[in-house]
Amino acid sequence: MSMAVKAQSLVKVFGNIKALDNLTFQVKPREIYGLIGPNGAGKTTALRVISTLILPTSGSARVFGHDVVSKASEIRSLISYLPGEAGAYKNLSGREYLQFMGKFNSEVKNHLKEMVEDAENISGLGDRLKDKIKTYSTGMKRRLLVARALMNKPKLAVLDEPTSGLDVLHAYHVRGIIKQYVREYGVTVLLSSHNMLEVEHICDRVALINKGRIVAEGTPNELKTKHNAANLEEVFAEVAGLA
Amino acid sequence: MLKGLRNIVAKEVKEMVRDPRILLSMILAPMLILPLMGFMIRTSQEAAMESMRNISVAVIDHDGGVFAKNLTSFLEFYGIKVENLSASGIDEVADNVQNSNLTAVIIIPENFSSNITSGFVGQLKIYGVFRGGGITESTTFSAVNSLLQAYKQNLTKQKLLDEGLNPETVLEPIDISAESIVKGKPSSINPDALFAVSMSQLFGFPFAILMLIILAMQLAATSVASEKEEKTLETLLSLPISRFTMLVGKLTGSVIVAAIGAVATIVGVIYYIGSFSFGAPTQVPIDLSQIGLAPELVGYIILGASLFVSLLSALALAVVVSVFAEDVRGAQSLLGFVYLPLFLPMLALMFTDINTLPLTARIILLAIPFTHPMLAARAMITGEYFTAVLGIAYVTVFTLGILYVAARIFATEKILTARIRFRKKKTTEE
Repeated sequence: MSMAVKAQSLVKVFGNIKALDNLTFQVKPREIYGLIGPNGAGKTTALRVISTLILPTSGSARVFGHDVVSKASEIRSLISYLPGEAGAYKNLSGREYLQFMGKFNSEVKNHLKEMVEDAENISGLGDRLKDKIKTYSTGMKRRLLVARALMNKPKLAVLDEPTSGLDVLHAYHVRGIIKQYVREYGVTVLLSSHNMLEVEHICDRVALINKGRIVAEGTPNELKTKHNAANLEEVFAEVAGLA
Repeated sequence: MLKGLRNIVAKEVKEMVRDPRILLSMILAPMLILPLMGFMIRTSQEAAMESMRNISVAVIDHDGGVFAKNLTSFLEFYGIKVENLSASGIDEVADNVQNSNLTAVIIIPENFSSNITSGFVGQLKIYGVFRGGGITESTTFSAVNSLLQAYKQNLTKQKLLDEGLNPETVLEPIDISAESIVKGKPSSINPDALFAVSMSQLFGFPFAILMLIILAMQLAATSVASEKEEKTLETLLSLPISRFTMLVGKLTGSVIVAAIGAVATIVGVIYYIGSFSFGAPTQVPIDLSQIGLAPELVGYIILGASLFVSLLSALALAVVVSVFAEDVRGAQSLLGFVYLPLFLPMLALMFTDINTLPLTARIILLAIPFTHPMLAARAMITGEYFTAVLGIAYVTVFTLGILYVAARIFATEKILTARIRFRKKKTTEE
């Protein structure tokens, strides 16, 4: 079976900073895989390489068998990327934004309509979708962006901190939606988070990442058992040498 | 057609037109400011005309002779209100005059009349009252002054008649009639009038072209930089659409909005120019087509083509520059460096003919793509299209080069990572 994501010895250097240092991991199809680590650990850089936004300095990465360097455009039609710090066009209404984004994935009118309706459900924004995005709160904007990333049911959704900026209830709702999309539509999810407790609830497997390299990998339960820890936070503290 | 282009262009135009900053500064302001200026000029001209009907001057008459009385009646005949003041000198009345509504004070010294009758020069002194300048003050004073000149001429004519001479032939012994040669053919049009018309085109065209190019560059730079500022760029770049389409979409959107802005500016300019006709001396309009100076269709096509390619080069340049900025403000600052090569040809071509410049200066000017639409505008009048066409070919090559660079930058991660920092450095890049 072809892996959804196969990253092999990825290295990315920005000037004199090594953001990724021999990063290797694999994501199986229909799995929710989490990259967890503190700020500056290299999570975003890894997701950007997988999403074909930046090139690896060395190493390789494949998405459903396509190489991120030589087959970037094929990958872009399979994935949906939600950046961690993303905005939306503030002078468009929420619905116009969804339609604008949707048109790149489908030019069939009915399909587009279906996508936008799905996005309306995911975001829970209701009538506010008619309003310009500049009137939205941070949380509303994030819900719109999450909805945009999932509405086209991509083969792989790359979600950088999907619940950042959301309150407890909306974060809970978004996590539910992500799980539902994996279950019902066979979407594979690669996400990052620095909220390790949240990740325990949603990810099938996680990789703890620090200073650009993976320090531990497995299901949340495996990791907790192996390190005799109550939660992933304790696991991380131990493997990162903080405990 | 490039897949997704229409979607991108529609979004670009929507975003720009709905942005209050762009709407205000690029469409509403030129549409309102110029007509407003025109309205103010027109109003002040009307006020000046109104005040011409109520000019008052003071006369301090130390002469009391026939010519002094004659001069006063002459002024009154032409509608000037004359107030007689008795004072030994201007110092005595200056303060009062300053606070009055008098336009001028005329001092007629002793022996003014007797000097004229006995063949000497009659002295006359006029003091204009300055209260801060302005159109009204200057026109009313020149009205009084020209009446004094007219009175002087009347006296001259009278003296010549008294001597038994014909004033017409003595004062105008030669009649000079000025005509022009245009495109190798004589024409009865006064060269001064012709120069005035061509000057207005030489100043007007480069200015309008410059406005359009700067407008479009600002839009294109803003459109890329705001994607960074609003953090929408990463999402856009991850979409299944070619980067070249994105670039073309942004350029097209900017051209469309700039064209709307240009039309708004032109509407403003037309109204503004229209404001000046009031009160101007009546001139016979010059029919440029009769003397072969009206632009021909081919001239318009060449100007249009030249404008289009240089506009495109300016836009591509703006996009390249804005990639290095972190936000809209940074992009505008970086764009400042591009303005110099824009202003240089405009100023140079306004005041000189490119063919009279030294070779090095000519090469520098010709290397700047923005010189060429201005040369094309001049070719419209002169009909020398060959160099204009060469210019278009050069600018096209230049534009393709810049577009290639812009497309390369769009296709790589440089668009996300390249930046020139104006403020203090941030340290981490996750």
